[in-house]
Amino acid sequence: MVEQTMLPDVEVVELENGFKALLVERGPLPVVASIVWYRVGARDERTGETGVSHFLEHMMFKGTDRFPKGQIDLQTSKMGGSNNAFTDSDSTAYYFSMAADRWETALEIEASRMRGCLLDPLEFASEKNVVLEELAMGEDDPWRPLYQATETLLYQVHPYHHPVIGYRQDLERLSAQQMRDYYHRNYGPNRAFLVVVGAIDKARAAARIRELFGSIPRVTERAEPLTEPPPQGERRAELRTPHSVVRMCIGFPTCRMGDRDDYALDVLAHDLGNSKNSRLYRRLVLKDELVTDVSVLNETRQDPGAFFVLCELREGSSPARVEAAVREEIAKQLEEGVGKKDLDRIRTQIRASFLFQDEAVLDLAMKLCRFEAGTPGGFRTLEGVLPTYASLQNKELREVAAKYFDFRRAAIVWAMPAAGSVPANAPKRRTVARKPVAKKTPSRLVKKDDKVKAGPKAKTKQKSKTKKAGKRA
Amino acid sequence: MSDGIRLEIAERELPSGLTLLAVRNPRVLTYACVASLEVRAGDEPADKSGLANLVGESLDEGTKRYDALGLAAAAESIGAAMEGNHRGGVVMCPATSQKEALALLREMILEPTFPGREIRRVQAEVLTEIKAEDDDPRAVAARRFRKMIYGDHPLGRPTQGAAKSVAKLKPKDLRDFHDTWFRPAGGYIAASGPEETDKTLDRLEKAFSSFRGKAPKHTPMPDVELAAASRDMHVPMAREQVHVYLGHLGIRRTHPDFYVLSMMDHVLGTGPGFTSRCSRKLRDEQGLCYAVSAGITPSAGEEPGTFTAYIGTSPEHRQKAIDGFLEEIRRIRLEPPAAQELQDVKDYLTGSFVFALERNSNLAAYAIRARRFGLGFDFLHRYPGIIRSITAEQVREVAERHLHPDRLTVISAGAS
Repeated sequence: MVEQTMLPDVEVVELENGFKALLVERGPLPVVASIVWYRVGARDERTGETGVSHFLEHMMFKGTDRFPKGQIDLQTSKMGGSNNAFTDSDSTAYYFSMAADRWETALEIEASRMRGCLLDPLEFASEKNVVLEELAMGEDDPWRPLYQATETLLYQVHPYHHPVIGYRQDLERLSAQQMRDYYHRNYGPNRAFLVVVGAIDKARAAARIRELFGSIPRVTERAEPLTEPPPQGERRAELRTPHSVVRMCIGFPTCRMGDRDDYALDVLAHDLGNSKNSRLYRRLVLKDELVTDVSVLNETRQDPGAFFVLCELREGSSPARVEAAVREEIAKQLEEGVGKKDLDRIRTQIRASFLFQDEAVLDLAMKLCRFEAGTPGGFRTLEGVLPTYASLQNKELREVAAKYFDFRRAAIVWAMPAAGSVPANAPKRRTVARKPVAKKTPSRLVKKDDKVKAGPKAKTKQKSKTKKAGKRA
Repeated sequence: MSDGIRLEIAERELPSGLTLLAVRNPRVLTYACVASLEVRAGDEPADKSGLANLVGESLDEGTKRYDALGLAAAAESIGAAMEGNHRGGVVMCPATSQKEALALLREMILEPTFPGREIRRVQAEVLTEIKAEDDDPRAVAARRFRKMIYGDHPLGRPTQGAAKSVAKLKPKDLRDFHDTWFRPAGGYIAASGPEETDKTLDRLEKAFSSFRGKAPKHTPMPDVELAAASRDMHVPMAREQVHVYLGHLGIRRTHPDFYVLSMMDHVLGTGPGFTSRCSRKLRDEQGLCYAVSAGITPSAGEEPGTFTAYIGTSPEHRQKAIDGFLEEIRRIRLEPPAAQELQDVKDYLTGSFVFALERNSNLAAYAIRARRFGLGFDFLHRYPGIIRSITAEQVREVAERHLHPDRLTVISAGAS
């Protein structure tokens, strides 16, 4: 029963121009979710044009050859729906939720803006201000600069180095023509796929998709980015922030999404930090009472990703003690792995998290997209997800922990109050300019309803720490 | 045009005065149960601000049978996510674990022990959160805004309480508050899942039939008055943006104008995307911000909410943004929306409401809302008809009645 929900009945429509659609019929509520997912993201940006992917995502709502300015939102609203979008390092996704009797308008909009986005220079200038406001909002956030600084240390060569929202100086200089070139270079049917879930007639939907997307010409395939060489030592930085609470982020370079190690890292993340019974929560929050919040994120991506540990310190806690305690707990995990009882509990939690993603059509559509885009096996990977988690044994978990949780390759960033002091045990220091963190490849394990925390508060706060750049607030 | 939806909902009132609600959601393999007891903002003593919040935050820190870790492990081992709040709590789980999950929710709500060490830790966490909020200009502005609107009314207090008050709270305060106010009369327990409603109600009754006792009479909430005149205040903070809240006292959810006002909100400032006048003008046309909204119905509850307009912008645009809001507020009071504008909002509202029915936790919360505010379980069936019957002139009339551009409170915090 549970396995059935992991991989729903999907009809695949493939067009000659490389466009692919995944269709899932799901009733009885008269709602439909559709997502067009472009394999285009911040990693595709050239030097000097950082932020163009995300800025373009904004412009995709500002008018096309068929839907003049204002019409995309208006038509969405008339469909009884909502729309939104997000950009991360690997992808840009546009999604609609709509009443079932009107949803096909979404297809018309998506087909039109795949090649026909207007990118009007006046609109471009006005929306640039919005993007700069979004960037400023991120700069004021207590977590984003910390997280971004950690990524900047982890990736010295690979384009994951730069923030999805871009550098202010690049955004200010970016021209409408540069964006137009970027758009025409990257947006096309062979770089995108569509997922539709809801009360649809699959045959009718397939016919409409062929009609609307079939004649759109291909674009050049994606270029492979530079490979990130392994770090040669621990990298550290310290930010001076206007916030009075001290925070820390540790990042370890890891693997690609969908690799077998990725599943093991999910389990290790649960064991380490994402519940009240996790090692770091028990040690840092409950026993030593050093931090108010600890969370752990397995952030795999299309190219090798990273594993993050984030802490928010209690007033007066010693940063050195916090870092030492994190190191000790990670060392214990390397030695002990995950006990059988804990492993059973974690598997149950993971299984439940997949079930919760099936409650709403948009969540299910998003899950299919993430697997289609992020794993070599595409959406069909879902079939093997639970068996893979079930097959992980402690020996393998210990091996994976030892492979990745190596402080000689870690990036460690402290965010300190502007008048505060540096952690006592910091062996070397390098100040990184405060830069905005936008982004985050969405975690494969979508969190449950925002209103409900699954364990410690850290769990729900994680979202705000790792938010991707998006169209809406 | 979507028609109304008829949900399968059943209710049962226990002799204790607790109302049980069951919603059948046959499409899913999951279950959610929401408890919402009759605990009011005024039940928290004025000199113990933050007490109700701390009680909610601490419900899962230990029960008669479990310590904090044991309770979390019990929930996690069945795939459940559970949390408490000042009126009860929520549990969500795979449907196969509903019996165990319900037992855990019951235990967390009815039998918390508030152990001293754990309470001190949660207290420290809340104090850090308050401190983090003191650093956050948006939170600072929001807090001041509420204080200015509500004054000494309990709703004027920050939910987390004042740091000084929170620091003084003792486990005994939490136990006393819980013993006094976590009582069945007037409360609701609602569950949603694939099971038949009768079975769900039987389970709820079994779990909560022993929940007894009476709470004292709630202290009547004082009246709140609209500010006599407009006022404007800025809290300087070294940040990139300034966060502006603008508004005044609002309405209760039961106000007869609620639906017409919800339509006004969509025209003015809560419509999706950039369809509302404020987002179209301030973000889409003028590029002043990333986030902007304005509305009176989202905060309407048992007590009066607020009419709140919000924008996060650069400091040089502060006045332009305020002027923009004012212009739109004045306009909607004077001119009825155009026929097409109104029709567009009707199309949205009558098509979008079904999205609130996808998740079990939303369905359970809806059942409680329908009952608490006297909407009737057939409300979602009637809703499209209610919306379709609203006229443009009605929208203008309620705007004139409920929006007061000459009695606005404007609070901002952040860059100057």
